[in-house]
Amino acid sequence: MSSSLPTLFILAIVLALMACAWFFTPKGPQQTLIRTSFMLSLACCYLMWMVTYLAQVHPLERPRKAFVPE
Amino acid sequence: MGDEYPSLFRSEQMSLVQLIVPTEVAHDTIAELGELGNVEFKDLNPDVNPFQRSYVGEIRRVDEMARRVRFFSSQIEKDKDKVPIRPLYDSAPLLTVGPRAAHTMDELDVKLAEHETRLIQMNDSYQLLSERTKELVEARHVLRETAVFFERASGYQQDVRSSFDDSSAPLLQHDDREQQYSSSNIQFDLEFVAGTIERSRLPTFERVLWRVLRGNLYMNHTDIQEPFVDPTTGVETRKNVFIIFAHGDTLLAKIRKVAESMGATLYPIDANADKRAESMREVTARLEDLQVVLFNTGINRRAELVTIGESLASWQDVVRKEKLIYETLNLLIYDVRRKTLIAEGWCPTRDIPMIQVALRHATEESGTNVPPILHDLKTNKTPPTFNRTNRFTEGFQTIMDAYGIASYQEVNPGLFAVITFPFLFAVMFGDIGHGFITFMSAAIMILLERRLLKADLGEIFGMFFFGRYIILMMGLFSMYTGLLYNDIFSKSLHLFASGWSWPEDPGNQTVTAIPNGHTYIFGLDPGWHGADNALLFTNSYKMKMSIVLGVVHMTFALCLQVPNHLRFKRYTDIWTNFVPQMIFLQSIFGYLVVCIIYKWTIDWETSPTGPPSLLNMLISMFLSPGTVDPDTQLYRGQSTVQVILLGLAFVCVPWMLIAKPYLEWKEMQKIHGQGYIGLGTDEAPRDISDTVMEGEEEGNGRAVVEAMEEEHEQHDFGEVVIHQVIHTIEFCLGCISHTASYLRLWALSLAHAQLSEVLWTMTIEGVLGMSGVFGIIAILLMGVVWFILTVGILCVMEGLSAFLHALRLHWVEANSKHYEAGGYEFAPLSFASLDEN
Repeated sequence: MSSSLPTLFILAIVLALMACAWFFTPKGPQQTLIRTSFMLSLACCYLMWMVTYLAQVHPLERPRKAFVPE
Repeated sequence: MGDEYPSLFRSEQMSLVQLIVPTEVAHDTIAELGELGNVEFKDLNPDVNPFQRSYVGEIRRVDEMARRVRFFSSQIEKDKDKVPIRPLYDSAPLLTVGPRAAHTMDELDVKLAEHETRLIQMNDSYQLLSERTKELVEARHVLRETAVFFERASGYQQDVRSSFDDSSAPLLQHDDREQQYSSSNIQFDLEFVAGTIERSRLPTFERVLWRVLRGNLYMNHTDIQEPFVDPTTGVETRKNVFIIFAHGDTLLAKIRKVAESMGATLYPIDANADKRAESMREVTARLEDLQVVLFNTGINRRAELVTIGESLASWQDVVRKEKLIYETLNLLIYDVRRKTLIAEGWCPTRDIPMIQVALRHATEESGTNVPPILHDLKTNKTPPTFNRTNRFTEGFQTIMDAYGIASYQEVNPGLFAVITFPFLFAVMFGDIGHGFITFMSAAIMILLERRLLKADLGEIFGMFFFGRYIILMMGLFSMYTGLLYNDIFSKSLHLFASGWSWPEDPGNQTVTAIPNGHTYIFGLDPGWHGADNALLFTNSYKMKMSIVLGVVHMTFALCLQVPNHLRFKRYTDIWTNFVPQMIFLQSIFGYLVVCIIYKWTIDWETSPTGPPSLLNMLISMFLSPGTVDPDTQLYRGQSTVQVILLGLAFVCVPWMLIAKPYLEWKEMQKIHGQGYIGLGTDEAPRDISDTVMEGEEEGNGRAVVEAMEEEHEQHDFGEVVIHQVIHTIEFCLGCISHTASYLRLWALSLAHAQLSEVLWTMTIEGVLGMSGVFGIIAILLMGVVWFILTVGILCVMEGLSAFLHALRLHWVEANSKHYEAGGYEFAPLSFASLDEN
């Protein structure tokens, strides 16, 4: 049965990854850049995946094809 | 957040430094600082006329040298065969600093002058020789053609003599008898004028002569086959040889005058054939000599140009640097008491040790032991904004700076654009195949980076090369979104278990798929590929995604206000500006996003109510608040929640309009009541011109200060109110329009997908079924066409389009939420940046 729960699991994983990025980026002149980039990429990619997944969990439309006899 | 190192988050800290430079070391110090590229010098002599500044003489000399160098480079360019110019990184460096600097510059000046005179001389003599050659060639033609005339005419003369045998022409007879004894020479007693004229002028010439001489002439002319090429301009002219026979000095004089006025060139030709042959030999010999001399001159000139070409790049470099150094020296003040030059400038605080090292280095180089001194000054002036970028971040920072330079210490949107810009681009561009092509092209540019940096790439390709890292990120994200849209060159990938099963037995003409309980784990289900109503689903999906992404992006941009308020100590702004704006945005559009996501989580087939249209829901939330049709409600209690949210949004508008001006007004009353204590401490950084500040610093009389203060208050308060009204209206209306504006994410990705599909259908799909050799050839040809169009239309054209729209989203929708952009860019004296121009 398709449900929306996987999005919450993945959200938890992504938040954990973002926390890792925050704490484990090595200090240096590029720390802010690397940290921001990682966290932003994770957030953007998750957001887009979540939207795509949720849109298909309980779809209101079903695909319809005109039957072409082979 | 990484306090030890400056980051792209905000501008680096800048300090105003004062350099005290002894005059002997001045030139070398500036040269050293120019190589470093870290200091922006301020003009300390703003009132001085450029012609009255101290180093005008040196600049004039350097300008003269620059003119000579330009002359050389133009001569080298004009030469037909390419003269090699030794590139700068390969040339031996010319030392212009240190004790021998003046000597080197004098030497260079002399050398340039010498080269110039030699080159000009050679050019002149080449020109002269070429003209001489042209004349001789013409003369040769004339001799040749006139020989033909005379030979032909001698044939006629036999006829002439035979028909004029009576005594009515005694003169002729008399002459004939004389000529009988000299048979070798064919003599004419009609004199003649011979020469060349341009072909286009010939008919006019003939006509004029006919009229002037009333027909008393005999003219013959032939074409010269080869055109004459003007050596300096390269223009071709075609000429004809003419010979005019007439009798009598006056007539001949007239002919000569007319010929001269028409631009013909006359040549002395002898009637005697032997003499003509002799002149022909002479002319040919002289021509050969001239050719040899011309050839040698050409070789010498080329040798000279090659010698110049060896050092031209280093001369150009030296001349440019020296000019810049002297111009900068003109910005300094001469302090009479201490007998030194004083310079003031901005530099990043972090780089001060580096600058001090450079100063010491300059002192050592020049051999004196009085080092320049560096002071750090305290100032109220706003420093320039400086964001230290590397190869990777340079492109992103540049495109965000194009909107406006950030105010000093403001949050820099360029940092976030590194990810959000390629991401929003990718949402509009999503296709694995196209993303891969984009990624590979950027990767190639980056792998060949070193070589391409040195080459001259031209304007268009240069721009693509400048943004190579942007393109790389765009390609990377496009592959990700392509995976999510399940689109590779308009085909779908079937990587995981699909959520749709197609029934085996079709009852009617159309088949509808059955959901089988899975959700396709990553991306759009391939079951939708090829379906008739695929667009119905994908449009709804993409539009909702655009709104979700848009609201999230705007919320993020709005939150960037907070660090600004904190840094500039505008704490009240947080709850007079930021909080009401956030509540307004979230109560309407945040609510919409929540509803979108909530609606997706409900299984509408097992739900008691029908699925509501979210757009209608939002509209009726405004038009008829409090009434929600229970058959199409999204959740219980919806009407109450919506009324509350609407109320919140409405409250925010007067909150935004009134709160800040009221606080400002109270502040001003307080100051007014207390007298003039605390001038300017509670005010936000205000725009004050330099003269006012100087007036305050130098302690102008109290009366002036009071008057200014009052004017400022009045001025400030009105300004604050107007500013706040504009800000509020802009924000509220902007919320709606910007949210809708994000729908371009949907529009462009739809266009891209459709274009891609059409391209496939119109090229390769038609030839896929063909068999045999013809089929293979057809597929290959179509494949090539398909690939070229993919790269040209789908990658380049669509790519540029998506780039533009993603940029617009950043500039208008995101930046309007937080960006002040009131700064000016840090423009240090840097020799390295000269090469980029």
